[in-house]
Amino acid sequence: MKTKALTIAAVAAVAITGPAFADKLDDIIGSGKLRCAVVLDFPPMGSRDASNNPQGFDVDYCNDLAKALGVEAEIVETTFPERIPALVSGQVDVGVASTSDTLERAKTVGFTIPYYAFENAVTANDKVEMATWEDLKGKTVGATAGTYEAIWLEGKVKEWGEGEFRPYQNQADVFLALSQGQLDATVSTVEVAEANVASGNFPGIKVVDKAPMVPDYVALIALREEQGLINYMNLFINQQVRTGRYAELYKKWVGEGEPADLTIKGVYR
Amino acid sequence: MFNYRFQWKQAYAKLPEMLDGAITTMQVAILSMVIGILLAILLTLFRRSGNRILGGFATTWVEIARNTPALFQIYMAHFGLAGLGLHLSPYQSLLLGITFNNAGYLAENFRGALKAIPDTQPRAGRSLGMSDLQAFRFIVLPQMIRISFPTITNQMVWAVLMTSLGVTVGMNSDLYGVTQDLNALTFRTFELFAMAAVIFYVIVKIIQAGAWLISRRLFRY
Repeated sequence: MKTKALTIAAVAAVAITGPAFADKLDDIIGSGKLRCAVVLDFPPMGSRDASNNPQGFDVDYCNDLAKALGVEAEIVETTFPERIPALVSGQVDVGVASTSDTLERAKTVGFTIPYYAFENAVTANDKVEMATWEDLKGKTVGATAGTYEAIWLEGKVKEWGEGEFRPYQNQADVFLALSQGQLDATVSTVEVAEANVASGNFPGIKVVDKAPMVPDYVALIALREEQGLINYMNLFINQQVRTGRYAELYKKWVGEGEPADLTIKGVYR
Repeated sequence: MFNYRFQWKQAYAKLPEMLDGAITTMQVAILSMVIGILLAILLTLFRRSGNRILGGFATTWVEIARNTPALFQIYMAHFGLAGLGLHLSPYQSLLLGITFNNAGYLAENFRGALKAIPDTQPRAGRSLGMSDLQAFRFIVLPQMIRISFPTITNQMVWAVLMTSLGVTVGMNSDLYGVTQDLNALTFRTFELFAMAAVIFYVIVKIIQAGAWLISRRLFRY
């Protein structure tokens, strides 16, 4: 009799304490809230509208993810360098922040499959004579600190052994410096370059050439050990493409044309 | 709590690069202090001169330097001056911004120190045949520096810490700039910034020890 009572008590205890290892995915569903780190100084992926509300491809993407999870989305603005501290310290659950999936970074955080791919363009000050991207050699160039193109450009400057590289804290400062002539040229995503040239906020700049990088694949990020969440987001990205939502968001934020192919020929993921 | 495993080995490998950055940081801080002290003495003379224009210039400088953020001053040295057609490199902008700030603060410190020196002393010097400038140079200045020496040390510490604001104007060769570059590459935020903090701490301790040695040597009674 006594053993039976003990068994029942033990079973009850297990049932009450429930799943002892609730993961992040459970936490999000349980809390009813998905907190996304989004960079809001990176149009058209993230920016603010006239009434200061977050908008852009990444913002919509976060909202879609929250909707799929059946929870409410909360956009947390971060800069590029602040994405990881925000994630690791638990201020956000995931990063929907155009994060390039380098192997070096993957040692620290968990990446999903790519959800977008950028092509990069060289934008130069009108007063500087440039015909192709190779004219970057020997020039004073800059880009937004912490981005893929900044890493690429700094590497190139080191490789050439001439010219100067300057990382600025945000995209607006880069284009301000470019417009003022502090920088001769910059490398940014085609989307950003075109949006900034078209905005008229930065007179005296023009897009010169494509930058010859492999497409800059960007992925969603979560803590490295949150495999359940990463798994869910992989499927979510797959579904976004499958249902045509990816193309729809591309059309809404980037423009006419086909969004980049997110698969790589000749290799499994 | 942090959901994070520290990987110190990966970060330690970057130590040489960070120490190179620390040297640049020291360079900027020391230069900004040397120029800053000279400018502060000049501003002090301006304010003592009784000339309305020079005095007004010095007061305006001190007011802006002390009552606006150093970040703003450095930002203006880069983007503000560029708007006027004067292009400074990140290094120059940072140096100019910190020097401007140092000079403003030090001038105010010197003003306080001057109050501790009786007015009768330079007058006694004048009666012995010294010129106004000689009286300042041989009687007032040495005492002014001695009295304000602890605050000069303090400002030197500030100068070192202010170099971290250089990243806002595209500086990437100082300690903070190097750390941020490495962070973008590896995402090892906490290890790298913890190491940077320790290096900053050591630099400041070295400055304090150096100041103590200098003051023991120079200001013996």
